[in-house]
Amino acid sequence: MKNSMFRLAYYSHNHLPDDAATFAVSIQELLEKSRANNLRDGITGALLFNKGCFAQVLEGSLDKVEAAFERIQQDERHGDVSLLALDPIEQRSFPNWAMGFIGKSQKCAERFSTIGTLSGFDPTALNGGEIQSLLRDLALEEETAYQS
Amino acid sequence: MNATMYLSQKPEATAADILSYEQILDVLPHPILLVRFDGVIIYANQASQAMLEAVVGKDVYQLFPSFSPRIVTDADHSTHLIVSKDGRSFEATPEFVSDGIILLDLRRLLNGPVGTASRDRDELTGLMNRQALLSRMSRTLGQGGACRPIAVHCLDLDRFKMVNDTLGHVVGDLLLKKVAGRLQSACGGGDAIARIGGDEFVILQHDVTDEATAAKLASRIVDIVGRTYVIHSHTINIGVSVGVAIETEASQACNLLRNGELALSEAKTDRGRYCIFQPGMDTCLIQRREIEVDLRRAVALKQFKLNYQPFVDVLTNEVAGFEALLRWEHPAKGFIPPLTFIPVAEETGLITKIGDWVMRTACEEAVSWPGEVIVAVNVSPLQFRAHTLLQTVASALERSGLPAHRLEIEITEGALLDDTEKVVQTLNALRDLGVKISMDDFGTGYSSLSYLQKFPFDKIKIDRSFVAVDSEDSAAILKSIATLGNSLGMAITAEGVETTEQLARVRSERCTHVQGYLTGRPMGANQIPSFFTQLG
Ligand SMILES: Cc1cc2nc3c(=O)[nH]c(=O)nc-3n(C[C@H](O)[C@H](O)[C@H](O)COP(=O)(O)O)c2cc1C
Repeated sequence: MKNSMFRLAYYSHNHLPDDAATFAVSIQELLEKSRANNLRDGITGALLFNKGCFAQVLEGSLDKVEAAFERIQQDERHGDVSLLALDPIEQRSFPNWAMGFIGKSQKCAERFSTIGTLSGFDPTALNGGEIQSLLRDLALEEETAYQS
Repeated sequence: MNATMYLSQKPEATAADILSYEQILDVLPHPILLVRFDGVIIYANQASQAMLEAVVGKDVYQLFPSFSPRIVTDADHSTHLIVSKDGRSFEATPEFVSDGIILLDLRRLLNGPVGTASRDRDELTGLMNRQALLSRMSRTLGQGGACRPIAVHCLDLDRFKMVNDTLGHVVGDLLLKKVAGRLQSACGGGDAIARIGGDEFVILQHDVTDEATAAKLASRIVDIVGRTYVIHSHTINIGVSVGVAIETEASQACNLLRNGELALSEAKTDRGRYCIFQPGMDTCLIQRREIEVDLRRAVALKQFKLNYQPFVDVLTNEVAGFEALLRWEHPAKGFIPPLTFIPVAEETGLITKIGDWVMRTACEEAVSWPGEVIVAVNVSPLQFRAHTLLQTVASALERSGLPAHRLEIEITEGALLDDTEKVVQTLNALRDLGVKISMDDFGTGYSSLSYLQKFPFDKIKIDRSFVAVDSEDSAAILKSIATLGNSLGMAITAEGVETTEQLARVRSERCTHVQGYLTGRPMGANQIPSFFTQLG
């Protein structure tokens, strides 16, 4: 059980500062740290964000995923974390990313294009796959909610 | 030590000629740290880097979660046993080397925590225990100076018991560890965190310049501890209530703690929030004490009496029985409502004595009622815990001569929360006597359907709030509880029926009984005969 593969998905509200420059730096820091930890722990997954929220999928052995989620829960850079799914899986949906990411809006995409290159993350590969689209929809919903 | 020998052989050379002091310190096999008073490490020798991952700029608290330079005083040359983040024990001899800077000379203890170290520590979480907390508090309060004023945060987890009961102690223990971890990440370096009981924690916060500083930490704790946990693939949701007491002049450790606990009980009335101690709260406590004293006297002096409120069978329109209601007429203060004194009675354990009296009196007074009229008696969850309930009921029936089927016992969901198996056993034994059992106040507590499954109640009593409020929601709840009860073959009493419209509604939802001002107000035992005469 401890070592079987699980997928965890959640979304949360972003508490990062609003101003673009600090936000970019914060995200970059967060991604670097996550990537390093996840490589070490054999965790793969994807992180979506916009200025309103985060949505994340983590895949890996149960104990490692639980430990990562516990660290994430202690993080004050976000809040109102809603756990969407925690299920055993046969294989990974994101086998190649220790932590891919996507910013949702056009503006975000431009702003973070450099980080995108750095992370070697290819957003086109996200097409298809239930969880991914679920995450996208959620992010989109959140974004519209935030604007209204 | 090699360095010293070398120096003594060449007395003409100064230390700096041969080796820098830093090099000397790097040769030492044990960790040496220089720590600023705020906890920041300003020097770490090589051994400390290797053994403890010490880095200049890190907070010493990250290496030793329970150590704070603040606990070191000028006069203090004693050794401290401290435990590193990964559980290794060290003996530390702190020395002030200059203003606000402490030298920590650390020696590894290979046999794990011994002596005071383990005595001061909560084994499960590695946090301080109550003893260590108290001595830290009195040291801080006695010392004056830089890290004051302090605030005390008293924490109590909400729903922890449910987790333990449903998922077992192994998961419960893991949860406590995770809570401890979250507290450590929510707190600042110098704050002391203790586990003082099952699911109770206390945090000592330093440098609380104003109320907002304490409020900020408390709300952070409520947020972070209240976030979902994942343990062994179970998703666990608990909450935490926090009571905060901020130091005022001349505070003493025990007073601060007491005020924190008071604020905690205030916070717990709503759960999942924090509450800061206000002076008025002790008057509440004093009032409670007074009630306690009065209550003990009331039991001895028999200042209680029972009133009876009829409940009516909706089909036949006949009085099916009366619920016995406890009244306390204080000779000086007058009528004291049950909501004021029952909690005190439960807290002090007086409830069992009072409950015995109620049971005996109700049976005695009901025996003269006509026909099959029932008397319903409320039983507190605490009476179940006292394990004498069965005997109390049996002897009340025997002494009064009331047939068992004319006694109905009303319990609340609260009774089924703890030690459910034992309680169900008692309920079954009561049922074997022939007594009826009903579930009171349904809809107000957890209202878990699983409680209805645990025991085949004869009756469910729907709380008055769903009858009184004419909203779609309460109508829907009323309907579904009634439907549920009907399908389980249980009778349904709607409480608090005051108008004919409400009666019609309740009737249309197939409730079997009603109780309320419309069908009869509570009355004294002596008024019951004339009540029946009036009915004709
Ligand atoms: C939205 C969000 C997603 C995160 N994702 C990860 C992650 O996938 N893996 C990870 O190790 N940390 C992640 N973190 C960071 C953790 O909260 C935490 O800061 C980090 O794991 C601490 O690592 P350390 O103990 O090695 O310093 C995330 C934080 C946020 C706010």
